[in-house]
Amino acid sequence: MADLQLDDVTKVFTERDGNEITAVDDVSLTIEDGEFLVLVGPSGCGKSTTLRMVAGLESISSGQIRLGDTVVNEMKPKERDIAMVFQSYALYPHMTVRENMSFGLEESTDMPATQITETVESAAEMLGIGDLLERKPDDLSGGQQQRVALGRAIVRDPEVFLLDEPLSNLDAKLRAQMRTELQRLQEDLDVATIYVTHDQTEAMTMADKIAILNDGELQQVGTPLECYHEPANLFVASFIGEPSMNFFDARRDGTQLVTDQFRYDLADETVAALGEHDDLVLGVRPEDIELRSTGSDEHSYETTVDVVEPMGNENNVYLTFGDKHAESFVATIDGMNRVEAGQSVVAHIPEEAIHLFDRSSGRALRNRTLEPTAVAEAQF
Amino acid sequence: MTADTTTEPEPEDDVNGDGDDNDETQGHLARLSPGRIALYGGLLALVAAYLSPLYSGLTTAFKSQDAYRETSPLQPPIDGFTVDPWLTAASELAFAMLNSFALTIPAAVLSALFGSLAAYGLTKVDWRGQALVLVLFLAAVFIPYQAVLVPLRQFWSMVGLSQIHPRGELVELLITHVAYGIPICTILFRSYYQTLDGELIEAARLDGASLARIYRKIVLPLSIPMFAVTLIYQFTQIWNDFLFALVLLSNRANYVVTLELNALAGSMATDYSVQMAGAFIAALPTILVYILFGEQFAKGQTM
Repeated sequence: MADLQLDDVTKVFTERDGNEITAVDDVSLTIEDGEFLVLVGPSGCGKSTTLRMVAGLESISSGQIRLGDTVVNEMKPKERDIAMVFQSYALYPHMTVRENMSFGLEESTDMPATQITETVESAAEMLGIGDLLERKPDDLSGGQQQRVALGRAIVRDPEVFLLDEPLSNLDAKLRAQMRTELQRLQEDLDVATIYVTHDQTEAMTMADKIAILNDGELQQVGTPLECYHEPANLFVASFIGEPSMNFFDARRDGTQLVTDQFRYDLADETVAALGEHDDLVLGVRPEDIELRSTGSDEHSYETTVDVVEPMGNENNVYLTFGDKHAESFVATIDGMNRVEAGQSVVAHIPEEAIHLFDRSSGRALRNRTLEPTAVAEAQF
Repeated sequence: MTADTTTEPEPEDDVNGDGDDNDETQGHLARLSPGRIALYGGLLALVAAYLSPLYSGLTTAFKSQDAYRETSPLQPPIDGFTVDPWLTAASELAFAMLNSFALTIPAAVLSALFGSLAAYGLTKVDWRGQALVLVLFLAAVFIPYQAVLVPLRQFWSMVGLSQIHPRGELVELLITHVAYGIPICTILFRSYYQTLDGELIEAARLDGASLARIYRKIVLPLSIPMFAVTLIYQFTQIWNDFLFALVLLSNRANYVVTLELNALAGSMATDYSVQMAGAFIAALPTILVYILFGEQFAKGQTM
């Protein structure tokens, strides 16, 4: 068992017309043994390419990938002791489930047949597909195929487990179920895992650590909550969280932020954090905006409810500043709290919850202040 | 209102159920406009025109010499019915049929197999200069038989297989057909392999299989429908070939069925019954191949 380390890994593709495209740019990551790392980002951000380089399916343009102390750059996929689950599952359609799961053991180990049978059967039991072993993939449901694909990977008992958007072909309910199952499975196996997805919900719920990629560049690596509450830049702030963070372009005028719609007074310590920067973006999470019926205290603004999206447990309330056609921002409030379109409400944006970013670089200058222990104590 | 909506659908459904059947039959009749009738008539005439040679060939093959001379070709063989022409043709063609099978089956299998291997290398394996090789394969598809006849003859006389063994000529012809069939088989397999999920191959690579093992265990089993297509195609091509056989085979003992059929026509100039029977016998294997592999063929065509 070993750590997986990526050092300044870069992948450059050369197109037919000679253009060079950098798909993965100088990515450095460490995945500790037993750790579940989710590599997340929008389509085409290089996350799958990164995974494929780790698997050995794609050559590495520069940089180094190490497994423990061994550099695996030049190693063939089969020498790397890595198993991968593909988005399409890539089950061999002409083989039974048993043959699919045995294939890797037959090809890459000299395990005797009886032991292969034993390994496959126990893995199948663990995944709840023990009674499907003699079936062909075409006779299975999507969820069952998914389990076979997982089974094929785990029988190999690999050093590193790679998953490329494994849940994207499942329906929403099954996806939620498989999320927890996968997590439990990974904990049982206790093996370094890289999970690629474009779905930030999967990233948030499953990961020990999230790595966010955009345009081939690593934006931030951290625990899900770090990435949520302390985004390193605008991209991370907008990518993580659903509904996404509200952003307002703002200019600093002394100790005041001036946006097109409102002015926002800043405390001294916030101002200090901004330094020289005064072309800013103000960000605030929907759940941090408080809606009140009246009030005119600091950081409170008269708004009009544009649209209400009831989610049951909560409502997403889209608000505008006066003018109906102005761009709206969203606040999330308790589901029992009734608000209707057209209603006037006061939106309070507490200063401890605001994020400030430098507009040109996107870098976070000030993240919300966190006091998680205080919340926990208050609740229990 | 509520009472109406609950009671009404039932009788309506019944009426619809009966009405549908009536509508259908009436609809069929209604669609038979004079234009339609003329169209069907024209189509039937075409069918008759295309089938009449086949039909008259078949009737002729069952007629004695006398019956052939005295009856019209379209008349069924009632008076002078005989199976003798079939027996004569069969015994005359027997050795050539065997030669044809000995040539066609291995040649078709080998060209399909090599085509499949080449296509695997051109689609699922990455290497430099692939595009150039593909262009060569593509170009080879369009080389006309006539263009290679003379060099082919010269080439084989230099190699001289026919001098080593009396059956050498047949081997020459076999190799020629295999070589000539590889390009088209490669192109057919290539388009099929392009649709094959690349992740399957990658999964097999991660599972530790070598290139050869991936071909053997994954690609080959998944190619069966395409093998049916190429085998039928190659079998028909090679079985029916006359030109290469004519140029390469000089020993009568090595004659394939197309050459022997031609010889049969020459030797028994007047016995059309035997010639017709011989033609049917010579064509039978290609028809049988279609019937045997037809289902797989259809599968391969739609994939």
